[in-house]
Amino acid sequence: MAGSPNNSNEIDNKEENLRECNKEEEAVKEMAPGSSAPIHRSSSRPQLDVSGAAIQGNFEERNPTILLPNQSDDISHLALDIGGSLIKLVYFSRHEEQSLDDKRRRSIKKRFGISNGSRRSYPILGGRLHFVKFETGKLNECLDFISSKQLHLGGLDSPSWRSGTRPEDNAIIIKATGGGAYKFADVFKERLGVSLDKEDEMDCLVAGANFLLKAIRHEAFTHMEGQKEFVQIDHNDLFPYLLVNVGSGVSIIKVDGDGKFQRVSGTNVGGGTYWGLGRLLTKCKSFDELLELSQQGDNSNVDMLVGDIYGGMDYSKIGLSASTIASSFGKTISESKELLDYRPEDISLSLLRMISYNIGQISYLNALRYGLKRIFFGGFFIRGHAYTMDTISFAVHFWSKGQAQAMFLRHEGFLGALGAFMSYEEHGLDVLRAHQLVERFPMGAPYVGGKIHGPPLGDLNEKISWMEKFVQKGTEITAPVPMAPPGTTGVGGFDRPSSRGNTLRSDASAALNIGVLHLVPTLEVFPLLADPKMYEPNTIDLSDHSELEFWFMVLSEHLPDLVDKAVASEGGTDDAKRRGDAFARAFSAHLARLMEEPAAYGKLGLANLLELREECLREFQFVDAYITIKQRENEASLAVLPDLLIELDSMNEEERLLALIEGVLAANIFDWGSRACVDLYHEGTIIEIYRMSRKKMQRPWRVDDFDMFKKRMLGCGDKKPPPHRRALLFVDNSGADVVLGMLPLARELLRRGTEVFLVANSLPALNDVTANELPEIVAEAAKHCDILRKAAEAGGLLVDAMVSVEHGLVDNSASVPLMVVENGCGSPCIDFRQVSSELAAAARGADLIILEGMGRALHTNFNARFRCDALKLAMMKNQRLAEKLFNGNLYDCVCRFEPAGEQQQHNFS
Amino acid sequence: MELPHVKLELSGAEISGNLDERNPPICLPNQPSDASLLALDIGGTLIKLVYFSGGNEGNEQIGSGNATPGGELRFVKFERRRLGDCLEFIKSKKLIHDSGIITGLSNGHVAIKATGGGAYKFADVFKEKLGVSLDKLDEMDSVVAGANFLLKKIPGESFTHMDGKRTPIEINQKNLFPYLLVNIGSGVGIIKVTGNKIFERVTGTHIGGGTIFGLAKLLTGCTSYDDFLKLSQQGDNLVLDLIVKDICGELACQKQGLSASTLASSFGKVIDSKRKLSDYRAEDLATTLLSAFTYNIAQISFLVAALLGLKRVFFGGSYIRGHASTMDNISYAIDYWSKGQMQAIFLRHEGFLGALGALMSYENLDVDDLTLEDVKEQVKLVNHLDLFTIHL
Repeated sequence: MAGSPNNSNEIDNKEENLRECNKEEEAVKEMAPGSSAPIHRSSSRPQLDVSGAAIQGNFEERNPTILLPNQSDDISHLALDIGGSLIKLVYFSRHEEQSLDDKRRRSIKKRFGISNGSRRSYPILGGRLHFVKFETGKLNECLDFISSKQLHLGGLDSPSWRSGTRPEDNAIIIKATGGGAYKFADVFKERLGVSLDKEDEMDCLVAGANFLLKAIRHEAFTHMEGQKEFVQIDHNDLFPYLLVNVGSGVSIIKVDGDGKFQRVSGTNVGGGTYWGLGRLLTKCKSFDELLELSQQGDNSNVDMLVGDIYGGMDYSKIGLSASTIASSFGKTISESKELLDYRPEDISLSLLRMISYNIGQISYLNALRYGLKRIFFGGFFIRGHAYTMDTISFAVHFWSKGQAQAMFLRHEGFLGALGAFMSYEEHGLDVLRAHQLVERFPMGAPYVGGKIHGPPLGDLNEKISWMEKFVQKGTEITAPVPMAPPGTTGVGGFDRPSSRGNTLRSDASAALNIGVLHLVPTLEVFPLLADPKMYEPNTIDLSDHSELEFWFMVLSEHLPDLVDKAVASEGGTDDAKRRGDAFARAFSAHLARLMEEPAAYGKLGLANLLELREECLREFQFVDAYITIKQRENEASLAVLPDLLIELDSMNEEERLLALIEGVLAANIFDWGSRACVDLYHEGTIIEIYRMSRKKMQRPWRVDDFDMFKKRMLGCGDKKPPPHRRALLFVDNSGADVVLGMLPLARELLRRGTEVFLVANSLPALNDVTANELPEIVAEAAKHCDILRKAAEAGGLLVDAMVSVEHGLVDNSASVPLMVVENGCGSPCIDFRQVSSELAAAARGADLIILEGMGRALHTNFNARFRCDALKLAMMKNQRLAEKLFNGNLYDCVCRFEPAGEQQQHNFS
Repeated sequence: MELPHVKLELSGAEISGNLDERNPPICLPNQPSDASLLALDIGGTLIKLVYFSGGNEGNEQIGSGNATPGGELRFVKFERRRLGDCLEFIKSKKLIHDSGIITGLSNGHVAIKATGGGAYKFADVFKEKLGVSLDKLDEMDSVVAGANFLLKKIPGESFTHMDGKRTPIEINQKNLFPYLLVNIGSGVGIIKVTGNKIFERVTGTHIGGGTIFGLAKLLTGCTSYDDFLKLSQQGDNLVLDLIVKDICGELACQKQGLSASTLASSFGKVIDSKRKLSDYRAEDLATTLLSAFTYNIAQISFLVAALLGLKRVFFGGSYIRGHASTMDNISYAIDYWSKGQMQAIFLRHEGFLGALGALMSYENLDVDDLTLEDVKEQVKLVNHLDLFTIHL
């Protein structure tokens, strides 16, 4: 099963689920970082919180709260697409935002008047949209699954949740489409007591496609010679488009809008013709086998090529090259061979090309006829089959002379089920925007794509033992990572009739994984982005295979160290060791899968890749692998902070500003994500390293806009520019980085009368400081500094020590406030298209943002433009990136200042 | 050596033979009977010959230049792999001699006009075996010239074929252009013709007669296309084809406005069946095969015609064979997709467009040089058993 292996076979009964849940809660409590953290006092901090809904992904798979259908936060919808070979389920589980707030969050909410989702006329349900497949032949498994999750009792239109009871005579209605919706209606009635409300197949197909193309940022992709490239489609410019559904036959649908479409054409020569003829002409037992066979074929043994007619010459007058297929199967006419004399491989390839090129041609002609720019292909002939996608793409390219491109959809197999889902009256999906959707993949159980069923993975234990087995049995799957770039198979070429390249790519690689779609209404687009439509977080394009290889290597090398840290963070128990081991295997397998198919989990950027690691850690219940290190470093850094502040205060304003920026850059050397720095750690203490690093701060830096920044801050001559009203400081690592680097800079801004928001991760990622750790750090620092203390009081941060914000914000006119907001992420990078609502609210009044550290200022957002002043500070700790970005070196410093609304040259030295 | 200059004289051309005869000889009343005229179209599968036979056939006094005018154009096909037979035929009929109308010499060799891909491929063979050069002509030029000649000059050439009924079409030659010409050979060429020599190959498809015959050979073991066509007439396509009703049931069809009997997927029923190839009747296989791809060719032709705004689509090429269901399928599909707005039209000399066009290129004859008045409305009954022979 492509999407969620964890739940497909989960047929636990209610009691088991509940018990499991309790176990889990206990486990979470035991591992809660607060309980053992000296400076982290809030042990009640929930593991699943507001933003957690977005990033704690896979807890749901084990979360049995879904069994309580009458509770408002557990309503689920279910819709089915029952096809000839597969049953597709789409169901929604609602997850109410956790109401357990900490004081910091309450204070922020109060300040900004955020009440979850209230800005909308009716609240969008937060929750998760699941995609699950079953083989139609195994209908019972599907019924068991529905029954165990009680999905059929939760439908919004069902009377059960309205009244709390289920009237005997009033059957629950489940939306369904596909031929089987008729065929199996009685079975559903009998087994589950539900009636299937049959929705028109084409209506569903179109509704599903429209939803996906609008709501999912990179839903569509092109597929040329094995290479997928995701295409971002402006949802305002989506219609009209052509939807070509290649099933047994082919339907060609012109879509003009939501619910507006017309079947304009079709052909009887479709997937059924390929597979039907293929079965008759070869001994293949399955469609997949036939396709696989085609890749060893040479169609020039069967097809009559232009060169065969013209004695090897091109018919150049009309632009036909010698290898163009003049007549599919035409060569078999003039030979006295019989069927058995031909290689089945050659026949399969000829068939594949014959049918695919024909579909491509007819589709293209229809697109031309109706003046449509985009053609999307779907259906079982296409679904997950790299080879058919390649040949169709080639055909469209060929017939259109490069003017048109075939596109495919990631969730293609679920169009019908999604459409059926959309046919419920109140599904709440139509108002969703791309930024409110986060897709999460089950990290605990990677497996080869395209399989219908994963192993039955009920709980963590099963996950671990499966990983152990997976590695034992499946080393051949994960171990030989194909390092040659994909895409050289050349299946698509009229011009390369022998069809094979150097590497033989598995067809299954095209079966993209489908994750769980998390609907998070609280996520917003960062309001200060200059051009949200053009914004691309990732600086480096991982579609360059060598980049992917590089990061694969970096992450692999770093893995043992990470596992050590993770295991140590939980006291090195046997259980932790076992989980650590399983994590390492799971993550390695994910990496291997990504190397084989970079598009497996959708568009892959470095931010996604790094987040994947954190997700994977969380999945194996490592709550915070670097907790001990973070605490130790925070303590060490806080101990020397007073001396540093005294030193800074002895300088004049100008010296101080430079010293502060130097300090940020120097302190940014501490980074457990960087190999180079991890080596450093073994050689000296934090303070030694910091001082050494400071000494090396020779200007000009590699990117040095300091003078420009200084001018904005201090002006020149007598003209003093007004201070910024509000600054957002995106902090990076714990320890020296935040304590000795960013805090003193924040203090300076506060001193100048600028409100400061420290923006930190919602969830741990490496040794990055998190939003719930920051108040403690600030409180500790405030003990030695009046500026920080007053500001923190004003910002409601010193809640325990000072006045409770319960009674209103502290009126302390003596100081502008210092506050902490969470960014909504659990990754070392930040994607500004999806940030927490509190960050978005804070940003609305900000006129300066400072991004600090590699993850947020270089790997992502180096090229991002903002509508306010932006300062990007980082020390380069990656030789390759240094070379790539500015021909630089390890430990080069970046101080990039971009004044609001200006595009200008930076000083690269 | 100086060759006597004999003109190609097409005035008064008309079909000899009865109206239903396929590829009937064309009577050329004004052509000197001793003229030697031969043109070839060597395609992917077949070699098509058009030659002139003087009224006094059998008369050995060829080349005297003063024989009485009159004779006919005859049409012969050979399978390409039987090139030897073809060469033998040319020799036995004495179609090449160094006098008569043949206009050109190429390096001292007699040159005959030839088109089709094989004109390049087999040039050496002709040189060696017959001592002639092939004067290679562009295929499209020839096909279009042949079609234009037939449509403009030969009354009774074109007809429609719906539901088994054949209806002659009178083409107003002033209103002929533009039209779409679909040439069904091994593959299919689709040409927009806007004037005598003004045309454009718009597109084509790799699924043509060669595909149908090729698959037919593999599936049924039949050895000739005509055998295949005969088989197809006794088959039931519902054995292998998936129709709409099979997929969504009668009810859903009505809802979607689809006819339940609409063909949904050719060969689609095979997928869910346990039957092997040998379990199917050759007749059923043949029917399904023929309809699958004749519909397809017609659909693509319709789409192209619709894009170009053309109402008339002429189908030619050697795979139509005057076969009723082939033509019915094509006509049905054109009618279906165009909702009755377009017409599929067939040609009696469908297979010889290229060869005829090559013949026309002697003297670079422009059909517009001829006027309609030259054509006599008289059908001459000529009975030559060997006039049309397919050597397969």
